Amino acid sequence: MTQQRNVPDNLCPIAVEYTTMLTGDWRALRPVVDRDKCVKCATCWLYCPVQCIVERPTWFDADLATCKGCGICAEECPHQAILMIEEAEG
Amino acid sequence: MGTAFDTIAFKASACDGCGKCMTACAEAKQGASRISIVSGAGEGRFELSLCRQCGDPKCAMVCPAGALAKDEASGVIRWDANQCVDCLLCTAGCSFGGISVDSHTARVAKCDQCDGDPACVKACPTGALEWVTAGSVFKKYGDREDMFVPGLSGCQGCNSELIMRHAMRKIGRNAVLATPPGCIPGMGSVGYNGKTGTKVPVFHPLLTNTASMLAGIRRYYDRIGRKDIVVMALAGDGGTSDCGFHAVSGAAERGEKVLYVCVDNEGYMNTGMQRSSTTPFGSWTSTTPVGEHMRGKTQDAKNLPLIMVAHKCAYVATASTGYMEDLYAKLDKAVEASFRGFSYLHIYSPCPTGWRIPSSKVIEACRMSVDSNFVTLWEYTREGGLRFTRSPDRPIPIRDYVKLLGKYRHLDEAQLDHIQARVDEQVALLRMMAAEPVAAE
Repeated sequence: MTQQRNVPDNLCPIAVEYTTMLTGDWRALRPVVDRDKCVKCATCWLYCPVQCIVERPTWFDADLATCKGCGICAEECPHQAILMIEEAEG
Repeated sequence: MGTAFDTIAFKASACDGCGKCMTACAEAKQGASRISIVSGAGEGRFELSLCRQCGDPKCAMVCPAGALAKDEASGVIRWDANQCVDCLLCTAGCSFGGISVDSHTARVAKCDQCDGDPACVKACPTGALEWVTAGSVFKKYGDREDMFVPGLSGCQGCNSELIMRHAMRKIGRNAVLATPPGCIPGMGSVGYNGKTGTKVPVFHPLLTNTASMLAGIRRYYDRIGRKDIVVMALAGDGGTSDCGFHAVSGAAERGEKVLYVCVDNEGYMNTGMQRSSTTPFGSWTSTTPVGEHMRGKTQDAKNLPLIMVAHKCAYVATASTGYMEDLYAKLDKAVEASFRGFSYLHIYSPCPTGWRIPSSKVIEACRMSVDSNFVTLWEYTREGGLRFTRSPDRPIPIRDYVKLLGKYRHLDEAQLDHIQARVDEQVALLRMMAAEPVAAE
C-alpha cells in the first residue's frame, strides 16, 4: 500500500484519493449527437447511468472518457438526435 | 451554463391520427393549428410536424427581419409579429415543418408550447404526445456536483449507478453513506488501497449490520450536536430484505433517524444473479434455473416497502427511475423525514445483466414496470397514510412488460396468469390501504 499523506498513523487505512478508472474503453458503440436535431431537452442527461452527458452551447454531448456505450441516451432521446455507431467504423 | 429546455415528444407508434391535438391547438390559439399530424410512410402511420424549438434554430438564422429569436429562459423560439415582414423564408428554412402559414391571416404561425402547458399534449388520448420535463430537472440539479467519481465499474446501462448518482447529487456533500456488499460498493464506490469512488465519507458494513451501524453514527452525530448530516444507506435488496432485514427492522422499530435507500434489482446480481426474497415469481436466476423440473422461481416476491409501512416508519416510499421527477420529490421528503425517524425509500432498479435485457432498454423496462402496475408508486407517512403518487388505473397488460425481459422468456400461460393475478391482488390491497383512491399528480 502506498504511503498516505495527512493521515494519522493510529488510524485504520482510509481513502485519501479518488479512483481514477475510466470506463470509456469498454465501449463497443459510441453515441453521436446530431447537433441540428438536438433541442437541449436533457433527457439523455437524466437517464445516463454514468452521468457522462456534458452541456455544450446548443446541444448535449457524451464524455467519451467514461461513456460505456449502453445506448440509453439514443433509445430515450425524444427527437432521435443520438445515433449509436460502432467504434470500429471510426 | 446549466440550461436545458422542456420539449414535446412524439411517439409515432402510439399515434392513431385522430387529430385531437390539432383541434386543441386551434382552439387554444384561436386560429390555425400550429401542430399537424400528417400521413407517414405506410398504412396507419403518422408523422408530426411541429416546431421543435431547435437548439440552433435555422428559421431564426434565415429571417432577414430578426422577427424570430430563441428565448433564453424557456427555449421557445418567439415570433415577433411587429418585426415580421411576411417573407416566409423561415417556412422554407425549417426542415422539420415546424413553422407554417396561417391561411386566414396570411402570416406565419408557430408553436410557443403554450408557456409550458401545451394544449395538444393534454388533448392526446393515446399518449403519443408527451411533455418531457427533463430540462426542468437539469436546470434545477444539473449544476450540482456528482458525488461519485466519473468511472464506476457498473455494467453497461446499470440502473443502480443511475440511482446512486442522482440520489447523491440531490443529497449533496453533507452525508455519511453506508453501502453493504452488493453491486453498489462492488462497482468501486467504496474502493480499496487508499482509493475511493465516493466524494462523501463512505463505509462498507456487513450485509447484516448496515442499519445498526448507521444508527450508531446518527447517535454520535446527535451527541456532538451535528444535526445537519444525512446518515444514509444505499443497499441492495439482498442486504435489505434478506441478510440485513433484522437490522433494518430493528432500526425502524426503534425509530432511528436514518435514511435507508433500497435499490431493488430483484436478486443478488453482484455475486452471479442468485434469487432473493424480492425476486418475483417465474424469474430465471442462477439458483432458480429453467429446466425440466423447475421453470424459474416458484415463490412470489415479498413486498418489502409494505413491510416497512407496517413498521410505521416516518416515511416510506417506492420509486422508479422511469419517473425521475417523482423520485426527486420523494428523495426530498425522505431526507427531511430521516431527521425525525426511520425513512425508507425503495427504488426499483432493472438489471440489464441479470434480467437479460439490452442495456439500452433499461429505462423502458422501468417505465413499463410502472405502467403495468408491476411496480406501484406510492408514499406513506404516519400522518397522511398511504397515497399513490401515480395512478394505478388503466394499466397495460403484464404480458407487455414481461416480454421485454429475458429472465421471463420461458414463462408459460399459467405462469403469466399467476403473475397478472398477483399484480392485481397487490394493487387491490394497496387501494384498500390508500387514504385517497387516486392522488393528484
